[in-house]
Amino acid sequence: MDNKFLQRVRRKDKIAKTFIQVCGIMVIVCVFAILALIVKVTLPLLSPSKITDAQKVALSAQVSGTPLAIGIDSYGEALHLIDQEGTITFLDARSGAVITQATIQGQGKSQIRQIEQYKNSFYNILWQDSSLSMIEVRYQPKFDTEGKRTIEPSFRTIKLWPALAEPERLAQSYVRLSADNRFSRIDLLTDNTLTINHEVTTTDFLDNQTTENFSVRIEETLPGKVSTLALDDSGLALYAGTDNGYVVRWDLADNDAVKKTDTFAATENSDPIASLGLVFGGQSLVVGSKSGTVQTWMQVRAEANNAIKKMQMIHVLEPHAAAVSTILSSRRSKTVYSISEAGIIHADHMTSENHLFTIPDAYQVFGISQKDNALIALDSKRFIHIWQIDNPHPEASLKTLFGKVWYEGYNKPEYVWQSSSQSDDAEPKLSLIPLIFGTMKGTLYAMLFSIPLAIFGAVYTSQFTSAKFRKSIKPIIEVMASVPSVVIGFLIALWLAPIVERSLFSLVVALFVVPLLFTLVMVCIQPFYRNRRFVNFLSGYEFLFMLPVLFIGGWLAVRLAPGLESLLFHGNFKLWLYQDMGMRYDQRNCIIIAFGLGICVIPIIFSITEDAISNIPPSLTAASLALGASRWQTVWRVILPSASPGIFAAMIIGFGRAVGETMVVLMATGNTPIMDWSIFNGMRTLSANIAVEIPEAPFGGTLYRVLFLCATVLFALTFVLNTGAEIIREHLRKKYGRY
Amino acid sequence: MKKFVRRGEPFVWATGMTLSIIITMTVLLLYVVIANGIGVFWPQKLVQLSLNDGRVVLGEITKEEKDGNNVSRLQLKIGNREINGLDFTWISEPDIRSRSYPADLYVIERQENGNFYGTLAEVHSPEITVAEGQGTLVSALGKARHNLQPLLMTKQQISRKIGALNLALEKVNQKLAGYRYQHMDEKDKRIITLVDAETKLKTQFATLVDGGKQNTEELAAYYAIFKTADGKESTVRLADMVRLYQPNRMGLFAKIRHYADKLVELFIADPRESNTEGGLFPAIFGTVMLVLLMSLLSFPLGVITGIYLREYAHPGVTVKIVRIAVNNLAGIPSIVYGIFGLGFFIYGIGGALDQFFFPERLPTPTFGTGGILWASLTLGLLTVPVVIVATEEALGSIPPSIREGSLALGATRFQTLTRLLLPMASPGIMTGFILAMARAAGEVAPLMITGVVKLAPSLPIDGQFPYFHLNRKFMHLGFHIYDIGFQSPNVEAAKPMVYVTTLLLILIVLSMCSVAIYLRNKMRARYAIADV
Repeated sequence: MDNKFLQRVRRKDKIAKTFIQVCGIMVIVCVFAILALIVKVTLPLLSPSKITDAQKVALSAQVSGTPLAIGIDSYGEALHLIDQEGTITFLDARSGAVITQATIQGQGKSQIRQIEQYKNSFYNILWQDSSLSMIEVRYQPKFDTEGKRTIEPSFRTIKLWPALAEPERLAQSYVRLSADNRFSRIDLLTDNTLTINHEVTTTDFLDNQTTENFSVRIEETLPGKVSTLALDDSGLALYAGTDNGYVVRWDLADNDAVKKTDTFAATENSDPIASLGLVFGGQSLVVGSKSGTVQTWMQVRAEANNAIKKMQMIHVLEPHAAAVSTILSSRRSKTVYSISEAGIIHADHMTSENHLFTIPDAYQVFGISQKDNALIALDSKRFIHIWQIDNPHPEASLKTLFGKVWYEGYNKPEYVWQSSSQSDDAEPKLSLIPLIFGTMKGTLYAMLFSIPLAIFGAVYTSQFTSAKFRKSIKPIIEVMASVPSVVIGFLIALWLAPIVERSLFSLVVALFVVPLLFTLVMVCIQPFYRNRRFVNFLSGYEFLFMLPVLFIGGWLAVRLAPGLESLLFHGNFKLWLYQDMGMRYDQRNCIIIAFGLGICVIPIIFSITEDAISNIPPSLTAASLALGASRWQTVWRVILPSASPGIFAAMIIGFGRAVGETMVVLMATGNTPIMDWSIFNGMRTLSANIAVEIPEAPFGGTLYRVLFLCATVLFALTFVLNTGAEIIREHLRKKYGRY
Repeated sequence: MKKFVRRGEPFVWATGMTLSIIITMTVLLLYVVIANGIGVFWPQKLVQLSLNDGRVVLGEITKEEKDGNNVSRLQLKIGNREINGLDFTWISEPDIRSRSYPADLYVIERQENGNFYGTLAEVHSPEITVAEGQGTLVSALGKARHNLQPLLMTKQQISRKIGALNLALEKVNQKLAGYRYQHMDEKDKRIITLVDAETKLKTQFATLVDGGKQNTEELAAYYAIFKTADGKESTVRLADMVRLYQPNRMGLFAKIRHYADKLVELFIADPRESNTEGGLFPAIFGTVMLVLLMSLLSFPLGVITGIYLREYAHPGVTVKIVRIAVNNLAGIPSIVYGIFGLGFFIYGIGGALDQFFFPERLPTPTFGTGGILWASLTLGLLTVPVVIVATEEALGSIPPSIREGSLALGATRFQTLTRLLLPMASPGIMTGFILAMARAAGEVAPLMITGVVKLAPSLPIDGQFPYFHLNRKFMHLGFHIYDIGFQSPNVEAAKPMVYVTTLLLILIVLSMCSVAIYLRNKMRARYAIADV
């Protein structure tokens, strides 16, 4: 043979070998690539919020007065500053150059006495002469023909209230404009009383506007001298903090009356309330004290009386070292920003009680952008600092994902999954615990149903039935294995579920009747067992004789059920369950799931068990039988123990399948993420949750990443189960390879 | 008795019982699907019920059952959705005074509003108008329907032309967008020609639309008036009739023809009425194409890995890890594959492709959204373990003597593999392929994330360049079941179609599996003796 040919052949052989080996290794790469990708998408969820020191610019000399308020647009390009003289200056954030400067119109020429910010873009300015302006600062992005963006800052005065008759009696003033055009003005007077004025503008169908004024005074004795007030964004709830640590809450929903709902000590040791603020959504009150503690309070239904809601302390945030001077809240999440008198800024996420960051240097005033992505502060040396906040997933932390969390509107800390809600200001509740619970619940009921059937079915098939049947039983199991899960889901949800609902009690009766009938048959058949020919004739065909027993039992159960039901449960078993046992019956419940998942996993458990049993060397069986053990004794004492690791592997592989099965649970459960072990209601599993929620999850959002986390949990669960099972089976293969 | 129990015979019987439960469950499952699915297209008799309260109800009996008080009641499909609002009604047996089966009753399948049940009252067409006499009416209707054919053909032609024009316009627009994206001068020759082409296409479009309107008017001149059981009249345009028949007059032969007709419609027609009527063609097409595309990834990778494990790898840690990896691949929930497909294929690769090749279309994604390519790649990964296991088993069942003989004669391992082992193992490997395809055909969960839709406007393959549109969304039989069974507003009316779809899917999957099992058993038998 010529050498060239040989060389070519050998080269080909080598190339093929390398190629094939690379492909083989690819499988490992695949598994790890899948894991790596889903984990990579998940990781940003748990990364701490980042804050980057973006800019530091000197304040322009054109701003002459003492700056009282500062703010920035969401692109971080323009900022505004209001000084004591009532001048608002818009500056370029990058160069510090003045864009425009204007004087806010008060009633006359006057200095600012007090300024309050709300919704991160509205300012209430109380002038020295006691007149009051409400202004709104706006940043409009403009695009030129090239597509380049410029920010056009502007402000408008929404309303100007004239000066009062006795300006020196006024201590503080707060105003709000609600969505339905109600101006609410709260005045705190120096004699510790409050005046509430509402100006309601209604537009009738002819577009005629009528304005009505309402005025209410609060003259009752308050627990202490009011030091600070807080008013929610639409002017419906008023909070007053006193210098001895009390907070009083009033309901302002009525125009012509106020209702005091609560008086409570919000701090320990009469620590004065230094500042109050409301978290986005207006349901939680942030209380900052003189000693620097920061806590949030909200209304919780009292245990004794469900109709009454009382304020209760819910979350404790990172304390300051000095008195808390201002509290601002994000307009996008439940993040709370606070500054102390020492000028140190804290950011905390309320629900998770996560301390996001501290800005340690001393600052005079600070502000945050509308989109909660930029923070701006002015230091005492008149430098403006701008930080970029990178906190894309404030709602997710280890605590909110896996721990009990006390959400707004709940009576106690709970595990809740509720990814979306109707209102914008409700935060997504992303606890995975109800989903993991649901997965486990569905799987366990399914395993309870399928493990005995599959394992004993396999034992019978491999040990007791004749070879002829064994050959035809395997294809039946394979048929069962190949039925698509969407078909099973459809059948059990639309065909089986209504049947089970209608004849639930028959099913319960069948659980008793069939075993009874079985015992009866056993007792009847037993005398014939002395006859050898009879025994030989029956042996291997038992399951065929059991078919009629099964059918007759089922038929009997259906027949007996109505009579028994009226005898025992007044004719309505479901009603009895609900009234006497407190269990609600859903049409799509765990009985249905057990059937559905059972059909999915029985073939898997069955065939692996059968393999495990068939792999046991026949010498063992032969020895046992030769020593006089009966066929059942052989199976029970010899075969099952020897095959037990394999059977165990079958069980955990089946478990893994049931955990990950999607279509059946998606179709046959109500997909409600509740935590209840009752077999008569549904659940939501991790896998179904992914299928339900992923169409609503925008790329890169919190929900998107949380769903990837669900996938990671599923992956991890099945990885552990499958790897464990494989190691057991490997061990078995070695053990019986010897025979 | 004691001995009987001690020997454990009752336990043997009990294990027999478990097996019979499993068998019953499987048989019952298949029986329900077949029993409900196979009769859907068989024409049902129309029954006219006179009730005690004087009402007359006309429809097909769909179900008979006993209600809570043990009174039997009938579920009737009464159709005529525009009059009744509902398709179904329940009627208690005691309320019925008499039943009759008038022969003149018609069932009309319509493009919209479901079936209509009633008698023919008038036929109107530009040529003839008949209002009396059943015989003349029927023949007039037949004639009018015949005369309508050319008009319907025109309608089809127009809509086809409009489709083609739309595509051409879209292409011109995309090119324009591309040029503009590159900041080309508006006065550039290429842009001007394109703009000209666009205006020309738009004029053509307008003419076609006018033609379509005229056609619609002409079609509207053909209509028939039908009477419902309680004497209400309803106008049905002949163009809206998909099929009409008189079930009470049909003989066995006519019924068989009707059945066959419907069956053909099932395979070649598009779905109607939010997927609850009509055919399954796009879903069948999507399923087949998905499976074929999936095979391109899964088969080579699976076979080569199988060969590696059985023929090339030295037993050791690597092989153990590969085995564990294979088992894990088989055990990872399919929804996790879907999530992986979404993150890796769609947003990862698809997003990158869009950035590089179609930046002018952004933010509208081209490949960065679900499509048949990504769905099949995802399924490809999912089915790899099936192929690996089958290949390994097939190679393992070839006696070592054959390998040794070949090597001893001086063949290289690669030669042994390609000339001996692979041809010998081919039935076993085929089994793996078929099983993988069956698995892919039945899998739905990952598809829901990677691009399946309830109604795809166009197929992934068509006559437009480049013919294969792998970025398009597609329909799938399994998802069809989920969609019409669970997302449809009218579940009861959708049920027959769900059962038909289920039956079809089960038939496809089971026949593939049976072939696979047959092949495997044959392969096992072939080497059974040599193996010893």
